[in-house]
Amino acid sequence: MAPFVLVWRNLLRHPLRSVLTVLCVAIAVFLICFLRTMVTTLNAGVDAADNRRLAVMSRNGLFAALPLKYQAAIESIDGVELTTKFQWFGGYYRSQKNFFAQFAVDPETMFAMYPECKAPAEQIEAFRRNRTSCVIGSELVKEFGWKIGDTVPIIGSLNPHPEDKAWEFQVAGIYHSDVPNFDNRTLFLHWEYFEETLKAGGNPPGVGVFSIKIERDADAARVIADVEAAFEDSEQRVDCSTEAEFQRQFVTMFGNVPKFLGWIGSGVVVVILLACINTMLMALRDQAAEIGVLKSLGFTDMSMFMLLVAQSVLLCLLGGALGLGIAAGAEAPISEFMVKMFPGFAIHNDTFLLAGAAALAIGLIAGAAPAWRARNMPCVEAFRGTD
Amino acid sequence: MAHPMIRVRGLTKRYQRGGETLTVLDQLNLEMEEGRFYALMGPSGSGKTTLLNLIGGLDSPDEGELIVAGEDLADLSGADLAHWRSTNVGFVFQGFNLIPVLTARENVELPLKLTPLSRAQRRAQAETALKLVGLGDRMDHRPRQLSGGQEQRVAIARAIATDPKVILADEPTGDLDRKSAEQVLELLQRLNREFKKTILMVTHDPHAAERAQSIVHLDKGQLGRIEHNQAPVAAK
Repeated sequence: MAPFVLVWRNLLRHPLRSVLTVLCVAIAVFLICFLRTMVTTLNAGVDAADNRRLAVMSRNGLFAALPLKYQAAIESIDGVELTTKFQWFGGYYRSQKNFFAQFAVDPETMFAMYPECKAPAEQIEAFRRNRTSCVIGSELVKEFGWKIGDTVPIIGSLNPHPEDKAWEFQVAGIYHSDVPNFDNRTLFLHWEYFEETLKAGGNPPGVGVFSIKIERDADAARVIADVEAAFEDSEQRVDCSTEAEFQRQFVTMFGNVPKFLGWIGSGVVVVILLACINTMLMALRDQAAEIGVLKSLGFTDMSMFMLLVAQSVLLCLLGGALGLGIAAGAEAPISEFMVKMFPGFAIHNDTFLLAGAAALAIGLIAGAAPAWRARNMPCVEAFRGTD
Repeated sequence: MAHPMIRVRGLTKRYQRGGETLTVLDQLNLEMEEGRFYALMGPSGSGKTTLLNLIGGLDSPDEGELIVAGEDLADLSGADLAHWRSTNVGFVFQGFNLIPVLTARENVELPLKLTPLSRAQRRAQAETALKLVGLGDRMDHRPRQLSGGQEQRVAIARAIATDPKVILADEPTGDLDRKSAEQVLELLQRLNREFKKTILMVTHDPHAAERAQSIVHLDKGQLGRIEHNQAPVAAK
């Protein structure tokens, strides 16, 4: 085996070169963690989707509203246990930069449909009883400092108030969800208040999405087919899909973001790999005569192979450890910073493992070519150095 | 003749240079006695270093038989040859060839890492070798902190650390001033005289060659005359 002291001292021979290589690998590992976590965060909704829930939206797109009367028709389909409806409210609090989602929902069925959306029973009841109330996510409480009983003015940009003023909702409850497909930065307002107010302005609302919960033993594919068939000849045809598929469509609405992020990550790894190969070729050039000496002392060709590979692997593992440390340390601030776009940003253990494995792989691959040359280099040639 | 430490029969080595075949050693026959100090002389390109490399198992001949320390080197390859080198041969190079990132002690310890000795034994043996070459007070110095003569003495300490039978020295005084060269030559003589090492030293320097008991002349890859020095010049 190659003496470890030589592996370590050779890395310290050109401290600046080694530090720069370690930093390169650290950046690559950090980016792998960061980009992959963006993908897993985007896909979290897909992964955590309930296979008993379906989503129904207009075939013309998410922003085309469906008639309210569709709800009764859907409920009459065999295998449907429960339905609830959502409509995007589209407003802002004080300034447009304070963006967060608001949905008009039916309080009677919404919490039954989404048990992962947890709020105290008395708060749900208060929301049900008070039509001008709302339920807000725990992240909004952190961000705006709202509490139960506060009145929250929301300016309706998509659904302006008919009296040309801000909508006002009293905070009746605060929900929190631990599953990633239900973010904690949403305001739910009462459907009846929403509908009556808009009706009074002569602009009755439609429904953005109907959620369906199917019976335990129902065949989802058959229910999907029945729902779509039910409205085939209606004023608005519908698309019905599983919740997972709906989430997937949502993720890919702006293009295939996960694939794009994957390409960026792969590009970074390839560039860093080339930089590491270059570093190790320079190391071979520096150490060629010494490899000849070591062979003359009786060290085997294989131990010279290991000497170079060990240097490369150690360099990359140091970079990997630094990158993982940076990623772990930056996780909370990044999560905080990206809460609006990527709620639930959290680096999974398998991402840390993958990034660590990538550092190891870079080390092995970058060290392999110069190590192979060192292994096969005859002593007399090694004494003369290498080009 | 006493038991030969090195026996060369019909040794031939050729190199390809620019599409031309160059015969560096041509059907060379030579025997070298155990425990004797040989100087190998000859003009540039006569094949001295090539012969030294072949005897040390650093290169392989195209033809011929080469038996060193009782081992036919043609029978050894790869890891076996490396192991044979570690136990039978010590090299001293013109450019010292110490590992610059290691201290003098660590350099001398390097070949001992291939032995079953414990760390403490290796350390003790390296220190003994360094004291023998007069560098007991320079053990923790790196090569860059030593003079050329001191570096070469560290290289000699490294060459003898595993107590090899043969020491092969390629122009060991070539890069040294006269005083340092004298010290190195004295050391080689002492290793031969007191420890009965068989030494083969390539040199251009007739004064250095006078320290040897035999001077072997090579010319154009062939053996020239062999001079036996009844009274080698002693250290000054």
